[in-house]
Amino acid sequence: MTTAVPTAPGRPARRPLDELSLPIDDAALEAASAGDPAWLADDRNAAFEAWRALPGESNVLYTPYIDLRAAQLEGARLALGGGTERGVGTDPAGALPPDADGLIEITEGRLTSLVLSDRATSAGVTLASLADMLVRDPDRVRALMDVGPDLPDGDKFAQLTRALWSGGIVLDVPAGVRLERPIVIRWAVGEPDLARMTRTLVHLGDRAQAVIVEELVASAGATRPGGQAFFSGTMGVRLGTDATLEVAGLQELPAASIAIQHRVAEVAEGASLSWALAQLGGRLVRGRVDNRLVGDRSSVEQVEIVFGSQEQAFDLTSYTTHTGRDTTGDLLSKGVLLDRARTALKGLITIEKSAVGTDSFLGEFGMNLSKAARSVAIPSLEIDQPDCRRAMHASSVGPIDESQLFYLESRGIPPDEARKFIVLGFLEPVVARVPLASAQDRLREALETKWAAGADALAAAREPAA
Amino acid sequence: MTATRDIVTDQRDQFAFHDDIVYLRETKRGLTRDTVEEISRFKEEPDWMLQFRLRAYDHFLQRPMPTWTDGLDRIDFDKIVYYRKPSEREEKSWDDVPDQIKATFERLGIPEAERKFLAGVGAQYDSEVVYHSVREELTNIGVVFMGMDQALKDHPEIVKRWFGTIVPPEDNKFAALNSAVWSGGSFVYVPKGVEVPLPLQAYFRINGENTGQFERTLIVVEEGAKVHYIEGCTAPIYATDSLHAAVVEVVALPGSKVRYTTIQNWSNDVYNLVTKRAHAYANSTVEWIDANTGSRKTVKFPAIYLRGEGATADIISVAVAGKGQHQDTGAKAIHLAPNTRSRIVSKSVSKDGGRATYRGQLKVAPGATNVVASVRCDALMLDDQSRSDTYPYIDIQEDDTTMSHEATVGKVSADQVFYLMARGLTENEATNLIVQGFLEVFTKELPMEYAIEFNRLVKLEMEGSLG
Repeated sequence: MTTAVPTAPGRPARRPLDELSLPIDDAALEAASAGDPAWLADDRNAAFEAWRALPGESNVLYTPYIDLRAAQLEGARLALGGGTERGVGTDPAGALPPDADGLIEITEGRLTSLVLSDRATSAGVTLASLADMLVRDPDRVRALMDVGPDLPDGDKFAQLTRALWSGGIVLDVPAGVRLERPIVIRWAVGEPDLARMTRTLVHLGDRAQAVIVEELVASAGATRPGGQAFFSGTMGVRLGTDATLEVAGLQELPAASIAIQHRVAEVAEGASLSWALAQLGGRLVRGRVDNRLVGDRSSVEQVEIVFGSQEQAFDLTSYTTHTGRDTTGDLLSKGVLLDRARTALKGLITIEKSAVGTDSFLGEFGMNLSKAARSVAIPSLEIDQPDCRRAMHASSVGPIDESQLFYLESRGIPPDEARKFIVLGFLEPVVARVPLASAQDRLREALETKWAAGADALAAAREPAA
Repeated sequence: MTATRDIVTDQRDQFAFHDDIVYLRETKRGLTRDTVEEISRFKEEPDWMLQFRLRAYDHFLQRPMPTWTDGLDRIDFDKIVYYRKPSEREEKSWDDVPDQIKATFERLGIPEAERKFLAGVGAQYDSEVVYHSVREELTNIGVVFMGMDQALKDHPEIVKRWFGTIVPPEDNKFAALNSAVWSGGSFVYVPKGVEVPLPLQAYFRINGENTGQFERTLIVVEEGAKVHYIEGCTAPIYATDSLHAAVVEVVALPGSKVRYTTIQNWSNDVYNLVTKRAHAYANSTVEWIDANTGSRKTVKFPAIYLRGEGATADIISVAVAGKGQHQDTGAKAIHLAPNTRSRIVSKSVSKDGGRATYRGQLKVAPGATNVVASVRCDALMLDDQSRSDTYPYIDIQEDDTTMSHEATVGKVSADQVFYLMARGLTENEATNLIVQGFLEVFTKELPMEYAIEFNRLVKLEMEGSLG
């Protein structure tokens, strides 16, 4: 699948659709694993081999729908750890946001904030950069990686990140500890011509509870002139028995970013997980969530919204595997597209033979607001166990509902305002689930700003100049 | 329907027979350029058709085997006889059909079907149309219904204009194979404004171990005309795998209406790989009514390309997958013009370890404004040895499309079974009735006798499935 597409003589061969054009060689692996303990170097090695062998899209269901050609990373160099992320003994300053229990901020590979509430600290919660943890307690890192879910072994870019990651975060909440206020994880990235890969390990012991707000924002360096930035983030989540985790992910990367996101969760008996993900930024974003409902009565709720404009392309897949008995999966993706934006919303629900009593729903809904926008939805089901409470998916694509518009107009709301209400209302399910008031406000603001920028173009398209 | 209360004994062997026919002519096993040339020469075809076959053959060799569905690598192309002719010429009347072949058809019920009300019968015995009768009234109103080979001789201009334009040989590996070695199939031409009053019907059969059957059907319906075409399949059972790779092309010119009904009941050793596609011009309506109960593996996605403004597509696809079977079926609606509509309804039943896959595509191309489309797929699984997959592809490139899609998978409700048993039905009868109800969206579209036949087929499939 990485065969070059032949073109007319005299023209350079077109780049295959499933290549990122990142310049990567053996030296990159060597540099990334410098100073690693042997077990970690081995892990990177195995991943590097897998990356080499895998096609860009190994799921044959989706091979016709991968297009990474927007990535122009030929000039990018690989960001390496090199200790820059280590904050040992320095305790970087940082104010705890109101209503939060913790904040960790990594700016272009440097740890710029790390604060944890006294309550969380005394309860034994660990929040640290992965670099620090590797120095302080490498065995703990190893144990967390062992007990946590593997990154998907068939995914080329997950394996690339597993091989070449240069930083990351650890959040470990001991059994029985219930953190009600969010932990904020903030990545400030986007420096031109830099490729950065990270791993985040989240572990909740039995009956533990936590709330995470993960923010991907532009760093100060992102505005410098230069080529595209590449960011690949992975989050491996392991939930113990009866644990509860809510994750809100807000992706507001700078416009010239190419992003890959992998979120993998393994959910034990009685545990519940919730994802609320907003995709706003970036030039090309390929995201994947793997929910593995291994324990009986485990559940996942996932809501993801995309608001795309200009040339943005979003390629988002969610894999949910029901293994335990009486598990619940409730997945919803929504996309609003302006200008020439594109989305591919792919979802695969697998109900294994052991998963008696499953309740699984997958919904993918799109709103194309421009004639040049393209929205692809592939909501799939693979079912080996018919004895389920529910196994269904639904999908729809439509314009703004005229009757809703009419209703709002009849209430005296001007048409443009009414359109805004309907579109932002369509995306509200994620906004409402962001657990931190300040983050929620910021997300609303970002959506409104994006709408305002696109609405002018829409209005112009509707009423061509006389 | 009273027929549903009958206790039908297993009539499977009625459809599973094998007559020892002396084949008058057949090609050697395996496929080479010579085979293709030999078939064309033997059929005394015009040069353009030979060139078409060779172009397709070249593409077949180059094209890799599809990997998105499994098990196709089991097909051994070297073991297949690509052309086999059971009798020398197309028979004009029933009396002229060789007795042995006639006996086969007797068991299939063709004469009865004809006695009833069916307009024409083109029955395919292996690779040639051997029996063909078209009612005089059809001929009088200018309708052409004959074997594809005969049409190439009698109506070269129509055939040359449309043949291979809806499904080009390069479309997929099995379309290429069919295009290279095709033989038999039906040709239907309905002139402008003519409404064919009764369904046209063709029976197809495969006979002979390892006989490939590569029929090619072309239906051209002129402006404002209307036709309903029905095909049903039965085939004898053999131990080794057979291959059926057909191509069906339908041209629905402006304002016409075409309905194409299929009941596929190949024996459980057949690979049934069919490319079916229609082009729907302005204000035309095309309907695929497609049921698959037999075969070891069926790969078939009846497609409608809505090319003209105001065209309508309606696809009902039904699959029953039993032991050892994989029904990889579905539908495609490709909207290329404004104000077009499509509806896809798919129902599948899997049982005894069978696997039913819905695979579909709904596409709205740029420029196809004001499209309304809906897709509904429901799957019923009768046990946990079976498997059901749903893979819909929805690709919308316009801003005013209204599209909805829904899919559910479930089992037969214990409450419903209990209720029916309380009314005196056995568990098997109750389940049977529920399955028939589930599939009714399909059955109700069939002419009555077909509906009865289909319900019987389902019942046969259900026999003993509940132990």
